[in-house]
Amino acid sequence: MGSLRVFSSRLANRDRRIYGAVAVYFGVVFAAMLWPIYPLFSRARPILFGLPFSLFYLAVLLLLSFAVLGGLYLWEARRGRLDPGHERDL
Amino acid sequence: MPDWVVILAVTFGYLGVSLAVGLRSGRGASRGTEGYVAGDRSLGFLVMYFIMGASIFSAFAFLGGPGWAYSRGAAAFYILSYGTVGLVPWYFFGPRIAALGRRFGYVTQAELFAHRFDSKALSGLLALVSIIAFVPYLTLQIKGAGYVFNIVTEGRIPIWAGAAIAYGVVLVYVLSSGVMGVAWTNTLQGIFMMVLAWTLGLYLPYKLYGGVGAMFEELAAQAPEMLSAPGLAGGGGAWSWGGYSSAIIVSTLGFSLWPHYFMKIYTARDVPTLKKTVVFYPTFQIFLIPILFIGFAGILKFPGVTPADAILPTILTSLDLPAVVIGLFCAGALAASMSTGDAILHAAGSVIVRDFYKPLVRPDLDDTAQTRLIRILIVIVGLVAYYFAVVSKLDLVLLLLLSYGFLAQLFPVLLAAFFWRRATGRGVLAGLSAGFVAVIACNIWPELQWRDIHPGVWGLLFNAPVLVAVSLMTRPMADDHVAQFVVD
Repeated sequence: MGSLRVFSSRLANRDRRIYGAVAVYFGVVFAAMLWPIYPLFSRARPILFGLPFSLFYLAVLLLLSFAVLGGLYLWEARRGRLDPGHERDL
Repeated sequence: MPDWVVILAVTFGYLGVSLAVGLRSGRGASRGTEGYVAGDRSLGFLVMYFIMGASIFSAFAFLGGPGWAYSRGAAAFYILSYGTVGLVPWYFFGPRIAALGRRFGYVTQAELFAHRFDSKALSGLLALVSIIAFVPYLTLQIKGAGYVFNIVTEGRIPIWAGAAIAYGVVLVYVLSSGVMGVAWTNTLQGIFMMVLAWTLGLYLPYKLYGGVGAMFEELAAQAPEMLSAPGLAGGGGAWSWGGYSSAIIVSTLGFSLWPHYFMKIYTARDVPTLKKTVVFYPTFQIFLIPILFIGFAGILKFPGVTPADAILPTILTSLDLPAVVIGLFCAGALAASMSTGDAILHAAGSVIVRDFYKPLVRPDLDDTAQTRLIRILIVIVGLVAYYFAVVSKLDLVLLLLLSYGFLAQLFPVLLAAFFWRRATGRGVLAGLSAGFVAVIACNIWPELQWRDIHPGVWGLLFNAPVLVAVSLMTRPMADDHVAQFVVD
């Protein structure tokens, strides 16, 4: 099949776990908006923060995703690896 | 002063400011294609944020979003859902794409893929798909602009004239300033739309029901079926989970691959700017929620409005609001239409020249000639879309439906380009062709769509295996060439 590499070979194991976790998180969020998971939560009531539960649920997923990606950004910024360009000439 | 004069004055005020901003913004850019198409790869976070947000928020979001919520209830949540994860791939692929663009001078999407897979045929095919997607989408924006003018002036300005005025302004600033004009007008238009969406979305439920919570309480009591997905189908019966879920899947996969967004990766000043744009995109996306409130507000108080897309203007004109407010709405709806239309128009000219004409017909075309040709094609594409919007009775909805299915087919190509060394040009071409044929077949014979599942998903089921099989059957590409692209 030829080699299939997802992470750069220069990435430390600990960092791989973090990127892996973020990828899994977005996979879960994606699935949570689709059948068969979303039907479990797609109800008119209870009405929370003025929103029907079906919409409240989606708004929470959106805000949570903002927080997770924002967190990843800050983590990368702190480790000085926002721009992978300094590791390779790409 | 009669109301419609005030409304027109506000609208023209907005158009004047857009034009001024659009004309000024191109002054600093270089004159070749790097400047005209990729903004010299110099855009900062603020404009990147608005160029993405405002290009995505089209006339569809502003009129179609409330229309969906009004006529189909929770079915409209799909629009909110696909944007939640749709742009995330950019965070991970974007920096690589931007770096390759800088190194090899790409300004379009197809240039990257055609180079990676060493295939001019791929370039031509992608150009064709882009145009199939762009023309009906642009047509819809132009129609929307004409429609808005017509409705707020109570028919005094015909649709053809309204569309011509709004898109005349767009054409002038796109021709003169290129992507910089698109970027800075989108910033203005984006701020305007956000303010208006939140104001109207919170004000209308308050005015009609006493608040957003009160509105949903009443809906939950009287029409609970409107508040639980998958909501209603276009015809009025219940929508299926298969249709709802697969629409989200196809739109999510295709989202980051619309050629006119994808090209914007090349315009970012640096990697942190690009990543920050993706991080903050949900703050733009969340303004779909007040947009949907507007449609929900109409369900109980204004039954039977057709077409459903007219619900927002209908509510506004019935509320006896000051003319200035109606004028602001008109300007906001035009902003939504124009901020999407300008990006498409600009991308269409660039794609035809860079992905079709130059590689396949005139490889020796120099940079100045390319930029001139891009401008000519922008005018031609604009005229064609205008013709379909106001003259032709031909309905382009089928093309638009096809294009969503088509664009999702690029996702396996993106993965193969960066992760799979063994992928070959022929494999990708064969996979794409198989996917496109499946999408077309499902659109022609809808009974093939088991459980209402979107044609794009069926396309992917053919596309990916064919891509893999044909790649394995053809000669591997040179190692040192592939190494420039894939993760190592």
